[in-house]
Amino acid sequence: MSYLNNIRNFSIIAHIDHGKSTLADRLIEKTGLVEARDMKEQYLDNMDIERERGITIKLQTTRLLYKANDGQEYILNLIDTPGHVDFNYEVSRSLAACDGAVLVVDATQGVEAQTLGNVYLALDEDLEILPVLNKMDLDSARPEDARAEIEDIIGLDASEAPEISAKTGLGIDEMLEKLVEVIPPPKGDPDGKLKALIFDSYYDSYKGVVIYTRIFDGKVKRGDIIRMMNTGKNYEVTEVGYCIPGMIPADELKAGEVGYICGSIKQVADARVGDTITLADNPTEEPLKGYKKAQSMVYCGIFPAEGEKYENVKDALEKLQVNDAAFNFEPENSAALGYGYRCGFLGLLHMDVITERLSREFDLDVITTLPSVVYKVVMKDGTVLDIQNPSNLPDPVEIDHIEEPIVKAEIMTPNDYVGSIMTLCQGRRGKMLDMEYLTKTRVQLRYELPLNEVIYDFFDALKSRTRGYASLDYEFVRYQPAKLVKLDILLNRELIDALSTIVPEESAQAKGRGICEKLKEIIPRHQFEVPIQAAIGQKIVARETVRAYRKDVLAKCYGGDVSRKKKLLEKQKAGKKRMRQFGTVTVPQEAFTEVLKLDDAK
Amino acid sequence: MPSKGLYIHIPFCVKKCNYCAFLSFNADDKTKQDYVKALINEIKLKSAGRPSVETIYIGGGTPSVLKVSQMRDILQTVFECLDVKPDPEITIEVNPGTLGSSDESILSKLKAYREMGFNRLSMGVQSTDNNRLHFLGRIHSAEEVERDVRLAGKAGFDNINLDLIFSVPGESKADALLDARHLIKLKPEHISCYSLQMEEGTPFYEMADNGDIIEVTDEEDRETYHEICRLLKGAGYEHYEISNFAKPGFRSRHNSLYWDMSEYIGCGLGAAGFEGGVRYKNVSDIEEYLRAYSDEDSLPNKPLFDEENVNTTFDNISEAVFTGLRRKEGISYKELCKSEQEFWTVFADAKQEAEKFAESGCLIMDRRGLRLTEKGIDISNQIMSLFV
Repeated sequence: MSYLNNIRNFSIIAHIDHGKSTLADRLIEKTGLVEARDMKEQYLDNMDIERERGITIKLQTTRLLYKANDGQEYILNLIDTPGHVDFNYEVSRSLAACDGAVLVVDATQGVEAQTLGNVYLALDEDLEILPVLNKMDLDSARPEDARAEIEDIIGLDASEAPEISAKTGLGIDEMLEKLVEVIPPPKGDPDGKLKALIFDSYYDSYKGVVIYTRIFDGKVKRGDIIRMMNTGKNYEVTEVGYCIPGMIPADELKAGEVGYICGSIKQVADARVGDTITLADNPTEEPLKGYKKAQSMVYCGIFPAEGEKYENVKDALEKLQVNDAAFNFEPENSAALGYGYRCGFLGLLHMDVITERLSREFDLDVITTLPSVVYKVVMKDGTVLDIQNPSNLPDPVEIDHIEEPIVKAEIMTPNDYVGSIMTLCQGRRGKMLDMEYLTKTRVQLRYELPLNEVIYDFFDALKSRTRGYASLDYEFVRYQPAKLVKLDILLNRELIDALSTIVPEESAQAKGRGICEKLKEIIPRHQFEVPIQAAIGQKIVARETVRAYRKDVLAKCYGGDVSRKKKLLEKQKAGKKRMRQFGTVTVPQEAFTEVLKLDDAK
Repeated sequence: MPSKGLYIHIPFCVKKCNYCAFLSFNADDKTKQDYVKALINEIKLKSAGRPSVETIYIGGGTPSVLKVSQMRDILQTVFECLDVKPDPEITIEVNPGTLGSSDESILSKLKAYREMGFNRLSMGVQSTDNNRLHFLGRIHSAEEVERDVRLAGKAGFDNINLDLIFSVPGESKADALLDARHLIKLKPEHISCYSLQMEEGTPFYEMADNGDIIEVTDEEDRETYHEICRLLKGAGYEHYEISNFAKPGFRSRHNSLYWDMSEYIGCGLGAAGFEGGVRYKNVSDIEEYLRAYSDEDSLPNKPLFDEENVNTTFDNISEAVFTGLRRKEGISYKELCKSEQEFWTVFADAKQEAEKFAESGCLIMDRRGLRLTEKGIDISNQIMSLFV
């Protein structure tokens, strides 16, 4: 019997907080690869930010050994997937490396939109899906309802879905048995021409880029010259091995197996997820399907804050880029913020993660400007410009029209919240495509929304209007003409380019007013009055004034408590460090991101 | 060797005022007696080596809630354990309404203070309007203020400070000026004027937070302040520190210690001290304090602090700047550093902004040093924070 029969390659599909990482932890623990004392919570989520937010962004893969009831030992390759709409492509490539998937459904909550999105991706890859019901240790678990939902909404037979609790370990053995039974072994020809899928990669300062791969055909070993079929680059393999989940070198990787390859590759962009690896001197004819170039959907400016060095920011961005093929940046110059970088991201979460890492891992003080999407600006002479920085928008008289990216959004919600979601989407220029009752109490709404309405605080607004119950999934569909204008902000009559945005003409005045009001709250009082104005071209559409302050004095010295006074002054000084000087006006750095958080429920 | 001071904290009050964030509370007679005993032990512990002091200040809370005999025991201990220099300034804070119930009893208490060695009296007046006094949570009337000041003079006090609070919610500028006029009429040697601050944890803070009271605007507060300054100057008081005014020769010697980096011993619950280049704050938990100091035979080896910080050279200079700027004279470079040049080497990153404040008329920078203008006082925190 072929070695292939004892391999199972699978992913876990779950909604963000439905317990995927906890389940992965349990599996690792159960199959004895990590000693209990080495267990950190959620072993596979290895970035602090991820662990804090309880979401998985970066994939990790791990090889488990399981002795089944049939007496055979199975190699279970668990390929973890990221769990956010920004990373759909990465998810699809991870799934492509699998032969099956475990679908984790929270028995207390049922199926969520995002899970559904990933299930469809899995079905696209022809994966066998094993549904399991999680959180069965909770009193509020409703396994029968969850089963019915899986059958109604996804169309999978859930009658034999194992009931488990990733938290307590309940039902994990039963689930593993079922997994071996349901998920098919990989197919492949170890003697064929090498065809291997890159489903993840990261940069290691000693080994260079470490590629996570699934071998479909052929073999690869140290010393082989490999070729990335889409980028066309060749590398000599320096090491291959398995992820257990630490890297353990092996002699070779062969068809059906999952492991890693190193080849002194300098940056992850050269080993892009989705690319096919083959041997340079004996290449396969056709690469694997599904390769896509990373496409930035959201852009923002990142500038060194007062006192931070430009070089430090550059170094950090370069280091991040080495590890993140979806992140790109180029130099930018702002009249208000000086020299900095225009950075492209897959989406807002991706942007958040990068900016957080800049401050946490690199201890950098940076200012991020309002995020923007890429607009297609069609000029009167017929040329088309891609504009993602509002400051670069050409003179309106030369513009024929502007097109903006539209996404299709799928929102799944308990039916109680349909009304408020519709109001929200309408306010964001959404066009409803359809609405479907998935069950008696659960509804799926499909909308077309301009991406620039989604990138600000749409997700937060959605969550707050539905007490966190609604879930969102979206994908780009097309560009579409729209009446858009550039909204400028002036502080003390000086234009602050970093605060300019591109907004729909019809809501420009309301947006301008919102931003002015927000800035009025944020900008501290100065020794003089500070007018805040929103303008479209020469026309002022909104205005607020920060009154001059007159008083900032401590009357008393607290009976000689000099230390107390000192602490107050130090706090004041530290606060000032986070300020940015624009001409005569001092603006706190968070102003640039705070102005986004306009509460449109008001 | 510059003069050294002694501060003693008495954390008791009949009732806590609505604006007060100081360490003070109501307590029963037994706690007060235990406290006096513990305090005496603490003073003994802290006076090892018999340090010399030129000023003694008993503050609170309300020191005058203690019995005369208790206060005498405290002061007696001070005289025994410390080397009190000739011509000391010895201040006690008192509040009207706590000195006695009749003219006779009040006079006798004040006389007793005078006899045991106090030569300066600081009285918490805060307002001369009965409605406002009530609103502030004071326990006395305007009439009692007048009576107590008169009796203090009769008891032999010829160096009296009166405290005044302005910018009380609901108070107009005219109201505040009327208060100041009333104070001037009482002819104290010293007046302290404080702009009311909403301190976290006070009833006023809560009320302002809930919108039940509306704070006086900054603009009005500052106008009031400057008019009070003018009024007091016109009445012969020197405006020698942000909040303090004195007839010639009657500046508070003790408070001046805080502004010129002199050392002071801090005794009592939560008291701050500065000795041997170390800033400390005593333990502020009363139970802990009493436990530590109640038994004379088993005192701790070292005083109990909530905070203790060894000042660096920079700390010393920095504190000298922000405390010194509170004074009319401001600071002189030579007092703090060897030269003007050295001063600006220490504060290189503050110079440009200091110059901006000088240009806008908030700060006077000359060859001698730095001092705030009246306009600069209003935003003094901004200027001082350049130097921390």
